[in-house]
Amino acid sequence: MAPRKVPPMFDQGSDPAQPFDHARLLDVLARADADRLATLAEGLLTALGPVEVVQSRTGLVMLPMRDTVQGTDFHLGEVLVAEAHIRAAGTEGYGMVVGRDLNRAMAMAVVDAAASLGQTPQIRAFLHHEATAQAATDTARLREVEATRVDMETF
Amino acid sequence: MAYVATRGGERAIEQSERLYRAELGQIDAARVAEIRHALPMLIDRVMGEASLYEPDLAALALAQAGGDLYEAVLLLRAWRTTQPRLTIAQPVLQDQLFTLRRISAAFKDIPGGQILGPSLDYAHRLLATGVLQGRPYVPAAVQPAATPAPARQPSLAAWQKAQGLVADPARADVAPDDIPDLTREPLLFPAARAHTLQSLARADTGGMLALGYSAMRGYGNAHPTVNELRLAEADVRVRHPGGTVFSAGRVKVSQAEVTSKGKSGLLELGFCATLGWNEVKVISGATLDLNAPGAAKGSPVEEEFFLYHTEPVEASGFCIHFKLPHYVTFQSSLDALRGAKAVPAPHEPEKVPA
Repeated sequence: MAPRKVPPMFDQGSDPAQPFDHARLLDVLARADADRLATLAEGLLTALGPVEVVQSRTGLVMLPMRDTVQGTDFHLGEVLVAEAHIRAAGTEGYGMVVGRDLNRAMAMAVVDAAASLGQTPQIRAFLHHEATAQAATDTARLREVEATRVDMETF
Repeated sequence: MAYVATRGGERAIEQSERLYRAELGQIDAARVAEIRHALPMLIDRVMGEASLYEPDLAALALAQAGGDLYEAVLLLRAWRTTQPRLTIAQPVLQDQLFTLRRISAAFKDIPGGQILGPSLDYAHRLLATGVLQGRPYVPAAVQPAATPAPARQPSLAAWQKAQGLVADPARADVAPDDIPDLTREPLLFPAARAHTLQSLARADTGGMLALGYSAMRGYGNAHPTVNELRLAEADVRVRHPGGTVFSAGRVKVSQAEVTSKGKSGLLELGFCATLGWNEVKVISGATLDLNAPGAAKGSPVEEEFFLYHTEPVEASGFCIHFKLPHYVTFQSSLDALRGAKAVPAPHEPEKVPA
């Protein structure tokens, strides 16, 4: 099995001075708190000017998985997602989030479009804050999970 | 099979549906939210069998069906057809899963260790009857460890392959668009492995347990031991129009491998995975996968047998269709029965001396 490059989970976003690469930016936006994301997007809209909505819809993403026995890729099932695609200020923005919240997807697309013109301190601060919050959520869960590790002794 | 058109039942049908729905009462957002919140295992089971991941819709389907699982799965499968297929995500890999539970019954010291995660495996099964007397059941809080568990756990099967314990067949990369898809193609036999595993992922939990259990009790070829069981969350990795691959969020998945010592001198593995967390389903499915090679025609562990009989919508639909009017079919059986009774028994033919 070819190893896939593992994106670091907890070490990005720790320095607010560094811009986020596009994949990490999208990861963070897709998991961002819906209300805070909407607030940021609304603030960015004025600077973007008129927005053309190319797509705003729910739909299905088929999720394949790789079987560990023979390495066969097969379909686990479909995931409902919300998708938004916009054009504004000579750039494009795209959002896709698991679930059916069209507003969240649209807010993600707006921030993606704005960030493609430059990750302003406001956007960067938002990403940094959300990335930190997401990492904290994961860490808290994984500390609970670690508490269930079996320290086995055989007699 | 014969069918006959009849009329006269419209009012009865209308009132019958009303009677059913009246029992359930008003369905509102609060009821759906409470079902989603209170019954995550049931939500997972329904999403897995519906092959549609959306917990709110699964909760709504359960509310509308009054908890009838087959009706809920049918509602979701039907609703799914109203939605466009936007894309196919990147394949989920075992060692990339955000893992919350990972155990092996076959190997004590698995790389990464045994992590029980959320489980009732070792719990006392006591009904908290005090709740009915006004004393709420408040679960004790988890005492978190000082350090987090690793988010990702290595693949035990990959380690076993590296150790030469398990066969490591060569694999060819398949583009996501070319993965065989049962929602677009019929299930034909011998089935493509991708069809088998997709069919198991969508299959009826109870049906899989019944057939898997028959194999576990001895009506199969191999006795299973759980090689690795995982409850996890998988990133839904999709492509931005600019080409960047990113995660649109995570969904719960469960996955099991079961093992048995094969005739080849290697360990043999069976595999099953599904959307949502459903341990009985994936262990049963992996047992069926392990037992399928070389199974006798008509045996419960033969692929055609178990895949056809565990499709929840087809199986439950076929079962309940027998309630619908079959008067002509049955009338003809009755006529034949009455005819046979009315005709006097034929005389014994005279014995002709040899």
